[in-house]
Amino acid sequence: MLRTSLALLAVAAGLYAQPVDRTKAPQTPPIPSYKLPPVTQGKLPNGLAIEIVEDTRFPLVTARLNFMAGSKFDPADTPGLADAVASLLNEGTKARDSRRISEETDAIGGALGASAGPDSLTVVGSSLSEHLTAMLDLLSDITLNANFPANEVNLYRQNKLQSLLQAHTQPSYLAAEKMNQVVYGSSPYAHIAPTPDSLKKLDPKVLAQFRDTYLVPNNATLILIGKLPPKAEVLALVTKYFGAWKEKSLPAAPKIEIPAPKRQIVLVDRPGSVQADIHVGRSAPIRTTNEFFPLTVTNNILGGGTNSRMFADIRERDGYAYDAHSEYATNREAAMISAVTQVRNDVIEPALKDVLEELDKLGATPVAAPELSNVKGYMSGLYLLRLETQDGLASQLNNMKTLGLPDNYLETYTTRVRSVEPDQIQAVAKKYLSTGQAAIVVVGDSTKIGDALKKFGEVTIVKAQ
Amino acid sequence: MMKRVAVAFGLLVSSTFPVFGGDINVPVESYKLKNGLRVILSRDNAVPVITVYMIYDVGSRSEEKGRTGFAHLFEHMMFEGSANAPKGTQFAQVESNGGILNGSTHPDFTDYYEVLPSNKLATALWLESDRMRSLSITEENLKNQKEAVKQERRLSFDNQPYQTAIVEVWPTLMFQNWQSSHSLIGSFEDLNNSTVADVSKFFKTYYAPDNAALVIVGDIQTEAAKKLIETYFGDIAAQPLPKRPDLTEPADFKPVKKVYKDALAQVPAVIIGYPGPKRRSPDYYALHMVDAILTAGDSSRFRMDLVKGKESILQYEAELGWPFASARDYRDPEPYAMFIVHKPNFTGDQIVSQIQDEIAKLQAAPVDDKELERVKTQVRAGAIKEMQSSQNRAEALAQFQLADGDPNLINTELDRILAVTPAQIQAAAKKYLTPDKRAVLEIQPAPAQAGKEDK
Repeated sequence: MLRTSLALLAVAAGLYAQPVDRTKAPQTPPIPSYKLPPVTQGKLPNGLAIEIVEDTRFPLVTARLNFMAGSKFDPADTPGLADAVASLLNEGTKARDSRRISEETDAIGGALGASAGPDSLTVVGSSLSEHLTAMLDLLSDITLNANFPANEVNLYRQNKLQSLLQAHTQPSYLAAEKMNQVVYGSSPYAHIAPTPDSLKKLDPKVLAQFRDTYLVPNNATLILIGKLPPKAEVLALVTKYFGAWKEKSLPAAPKIEIPAPKRQIVLVDRPGSVQADIHVGRSAPIRTTNEFFPLTVTNNILGGGTNSRMFADIRERDGYAYDAHSEYATNREAAMISAVTQVRNDVIEPALKDVLEELDKLGATPVAAPELSNVKGYMSGLYLLRLETQDGLASQLNNMKTLGLPDNYLETYTTRVRSVEPDQIQAVAKKYLSTGQAAIVVVGDSTKIGDALKKFGEVTIVKAQ
Repeated sequence: MMKRVAVAFGLLVSSTFPVFGGDINVPVESYKLKNGLRVILSRDNAVPVITVYMIYDVGSRSEEKGRTGFAHLFEHMMFEGSANAPKGTQFAQVESNGGILNGSTHPDFTDYYEVLPSNKLATALWLESDRMRSLSITEENLKNQKEAVKQERRLSFDNQPYQTAIVEVWPTLMFQNWQSSHSLIGSFEDLNNSTVADVSKFFKTYYAPDNAALVIVGDIQTEAAKKLIETYFGDIAAQPLPKRPDLTEPADFKPVKKVYKDALAQVPAVIIGYPGPKRRSPDYYALHMVDAILTAGDSSRFRMDLVKGKESILQYEAELGWPFASARDYRDPEPYAMFIVHKPNFTGDQIVSQIQDEIAKLQAAPVDDKELERVKTQVRAGAIKEMQSSQNRAEALAQFQLADGDPNLINTELDRILAVTPAQIQAAAKKYLTPDKRAVLEIQPAPAQAGKEDK
């Protein structure tokens, strides 16, 4: 208290308006460096990797249990299996039914569940820090002992079928589905969802088999963040709940072979569509390559946020679309970069022409210094904002595991973004954004936009599946 | 309490969770500039991020007849540039530093914020002070923003299921006083009739330093921040304090039920509401707990008894202050209301009676200790989780400052809720949540041509 009131006095004496030039944005210091809290790493004898981060700001703990068990491990005839396993883990175990899991989770001020991406399946738990033990107990129980009750599996199949039908009415979903097929060919990254047929194959046995194969300790990393007891105590708790879990040899990982990129135009016919969804893109380097940082900066120049070229030109200058952006989606073993916009049917031709021009321009002309500096500021600031909450940091660490990134990835991120030079941008843009090898996927009404599209080359028309 | 379905309330909603303090110890330092601007600083140097949050003591309940939607239209004008930061500067300055910004209009206040890396404090203060000092009010900007608001209305309300019922019809059932019952998004006619003179008058009346509070949360050096605040805001002239609108409701609430045919809805829904207790009265805290028992968490009664047990409802959200995101969105009077999407094989009447039966259980017997303990833990954890983001802390501080004159409530309100007893819960449910004090709006899917009759 004393300190506060003294400080106030000092301020009262020093408070006067300093002359300031309001006509210009203020000069500000450089962006502050941020030292991430240290990550303590360890490993149980059964192979479970552990990462512990102390964050004492709030009485909360967050756990992420990451497995290399994403949808790329789905059997070829059962797409969507990993996703189903993740969704059903918290619907019953040998010891607890679904209701009991809900009640016990709420009683610790927690959340509990799982989700699957292309590479990994992540079980997530959180609670008040005083309930860490109970949270680890629940997390361990649903991961090791889920028994996939038949009634819950049936409900999941019914609901998933409904949401699948619903998804296929959305042009953005149809476009994502086709882009993944075009870019990733016959590799496991090509599928993004189950099919009505594969849903029929789901039963408790199939689900348990996938769990028993891939949800094993030597295939997992447990990330714990929050207000935690001393390290030794944390390790003892982790050993108690995950130590008896048996190590198991893993089957060979699926081979990822993707087709060479080539120029092609695919029109997904969606009769009655009043808009055309345009996606232009191709395969791109993964995160661990030297080309990643130049290309991620390039992607943000092209279509990251409202200062980007796609936004400024396609939306603001031309008025063709509400949304115009670009995406650089990196999986562990393959990645895709694409420009995306949705336009009225009657402007499909000039809009697609403009998108192609934007892509080619980046390889043809070096980016100007102020534009590059703005984009670097945008990326560095976003990076900081994303680390503000416990969930934010947990997601970043989890992502690093999923993508196989080096331990210093977060620490060096901003420096590496800032060190990207215009000639590197031009080089990766020429290589990956020049439209000669770009696939063009458009979702729309073929009777309305088919002729316009043919002006860009041969068009393959497919039905919305 | 916190379950929000896909039917979020567009621009009018800003937060997604009620905020209280409790185990949280948010530092609060507040003072006032000579021109009356209230300043609240909350230093937290853990991550180099700041939130700069301006709140003005004016909302849609301050609007005048013939000018529905004006508070929101004015909010849009605040992004049209100012003397030294012409149109586009705000977005460019904030985004090129990786920051985010927005504004939102609420019944009793309007807010604007920037979240940025902490080296950009001066930039945010420059932008906020410049528009408070010298907003660009021109015919062209107004025309432009009238169109933008109309487009927003078409996209977010007129072309969405449930939204017309929520924003146009529901307030007329819950409130008698026009200040509270009129449309917050406004009619096209009233928007068209708004003039540059209206905008100038509103700006002068309400957007003065003594009718506002500035909150900064995050990585600041307190003394340096104070100097910057004085530099940028110190010489903006105060104005006479505006009169608060009279929000008095008639003493006796008449139960009411209405059906709205919604041409855009595929699935039926009901809205149920009850006039709520006085803000920060004992019953107010008790109703928070009633709400949490019914709707908070995976094991809440609505989920266990109705979503799973009776398999009658699909989605639900409820809140003191609904359809706004938090009880802090309203000064008195404030309703307790809920929105329920249900399966078509149940009628609206059946759903209303199932809900009232759930409430009747709370009225008939005190809630058992084990359940209450579990719900309180949920409430506590939810409040703490929300406090992680500097933006949420800033919003809570600002709202407590304006509505209650005490930003320190951020650290104490949770304790008041957690102190609620089973007897108080039972008594509050009996006193407030009865059919004779209930408003009901059934939303029925309807073929296109039938949709107009109720408008």
